[in-house]
Amino acid sequence: MSTAFDDSAFDVLFRECASDVHAYAISLLGDRSAAEDVTALAFERVYRSRARLDRGRGTPRAWLFAVARNAALDELRRRRRNPNFDLDEDRWGDLRSEEELEQVERRATVRDALACLPLRERELVLLKFHGQLSNSELGRALGISESNAGTRLHRVLTHLREHCLELDQKEVA
Amino acid sequence: MRIVPFPRHDDESVEQAWLIELESALNGDADGPAADSWRELRDDVRALAPPIAPDFEQRLRAQIAARGVRRWVPRLRVRPPARPAIAAIACVLCAALVALVVVAPWRSAQGSREATAQSGQVDELGTSGPITSSPSAAAGSPVAKHRAAEQVSPSASTAVGSSSSESSSAEPSSNAPAFAPGRVQQLGASVTLAVAPTDVQQTADRVSRLVVHDGGFVQSSHVQVQQGSAGEANLMLKLPSEKLNAALASLEQIAPVREESQSLQDITNTYNAARQRLSDVEAERRALLHALADATTEGQIDSLRERLAQSRNALGGAHSALAAVSRRASTAEVEVSVIGNAHAPSEGLTLHRGLHDAGRVLTLVLVVLLIAATVLIPLALVLLALVLAGRAWRRHRREQALDTQ
Repeated sequence: MSTAFDDSAFDVLFRECASDVHAYAISLLGDRSAAEDVTALAFERVYRSRARLDRGRGTPRAWLFAVARNAALDELRRRRRNPNFDLDEDRWGDLRSEEELEQVERRATVRDALACLPLRERELVLLKFHGQLSNSELGRALGISESNAGTRLHRVLTHLREHCLELDQKEVA
Repeated sequence: MRIVPFPRHDDESVEQAWLIELESALNGDADGPAADSWRELRDDVRALAPPIAPDFEQRLRAQIAARGVRRWVPRLRVRPPARPAIAAIACVLCAALVALVVVAPWRSAQGSREATAQSGQVDELGTSGPITSSPSAAAGSPVAKHRAAEQVSPSASTAVGSSSSESSSAEPSSNAPAFAPGRVQQLGASVTLAVAPTDVQQTADRVSRLVVHDGGFVQSSHVQVQQGSAGEANLMLKLPSEKLNAALASLEQIAPVREESQSLQDITNTYNAARQRLSDVEAERRALLHALADATTEGQIDSLRERLAQSRNALGGAHSALAAVSRRASTAEVEVSVIGNAHAPSEGLTLHRGLHDAGRVLTLVLVVLLIAATVLIPLALVLLALVLAGRAWRRHRREQALDTQ
């Protein structure tokens, strides 16, 4: 008898989400080893409690990210450390075209704008974009209502955009 | 009239539209510069994160493929997850234990009550009320304490007296044992056991051993066993009143009870009269001794000495009378008839007995469940509140981690 969330479904979830969970964790924690721990822990917890997955309350991906978020926050709280957001700039060292240069500049601006955000707002952006969660899933992961999650997301993305604009203007000036 | 629109309404509409636009853009359902801009922002944010280390991904993938993800030992010191099932099982066990402790004393009393009820005969007792005394109540009552003070031996014969206000009953009992506080009562019972004809002697012996074990004795015994015909045994037992119910329950275990009746005789007036008589004689003797001390003539002294001798005899008689009444109260008389019945199996496994035992077991189980529920429900509520509070606290602590910057 196959369960609602059996081993093959778990394999699919891992293939689709492992890199995203890791990206979310490393962006939030700024520490590769901690991000690996959080990623492994999230998959372990999901695997262990896969029988309790209620598909009516969200996708397995949303569930995984909610678990990963809890693990990441536990790690943050345990280490009492602010995450470092200087992520791997060397990856963009080997550039060729104008378009690639423009992309690098834009991403640097986004990175700086993200760094300007408070950790709580930054975490929301990371959860939204890495997790690719809907607002209802976002609300469930954050323990708030869907409308509240939408309001927060609106505010945070507006702040992010404003920071990006500010940084662009400074650069032009 | 000027209509002033509620300002938040527009804000909410704008926000909703903005969120719908965002979702459409991120899902790839919308086109245009704005949608492209959102997708670009998302891709930029995602591109900022360093990629997963290939060796880590490979290792994790291998473990998951081997279903060994549970054996993954992260570098984090992760507290093992709480196991509510273990807590629930512990609660159930505790509740069952408490229920058993509560039920245990009740069970013995229930057994004796049911043994009485099995006779299926009900009577009316007039003014004396319920006819049986529960052992615990009798032991703790003032009268019982007085009995203990009297130190009455149960070996004397029972002398049933009568009084105008005494009420007595030799009829079968009802199934409502109770003890009338402050009353002195004499208990009795009659039990008929049905056994196989070959088991009459053996059953009589077991009854004798039982009564000795309970601190009583066999006052008289008559066993008649004839070859090829139904035998019969009649035993008259004397045992401490407080052991009566337990003895009746034990008799039920020996063999199926065909008939059972209990009787009670209130001898409070007789007892009080004997005590009063003793007090009077003691007072008279004290007065005579005083008078003797004050006597001056030879005639007075002789007369007083003669009366003192009579008083001494009267005092002995009063003591004896009081002791006899006390013995009646402290000793129960049980008449046991063992009838050899060809239809009675030796082990007592009749349908009626089986149904009776099943009923007792079911009753006991229901009582245990009921008591367990009364313990478990509050415990479960407390546990639930603790779990919810714990979750809220954990969430609060986690969210606090985001405010450390």
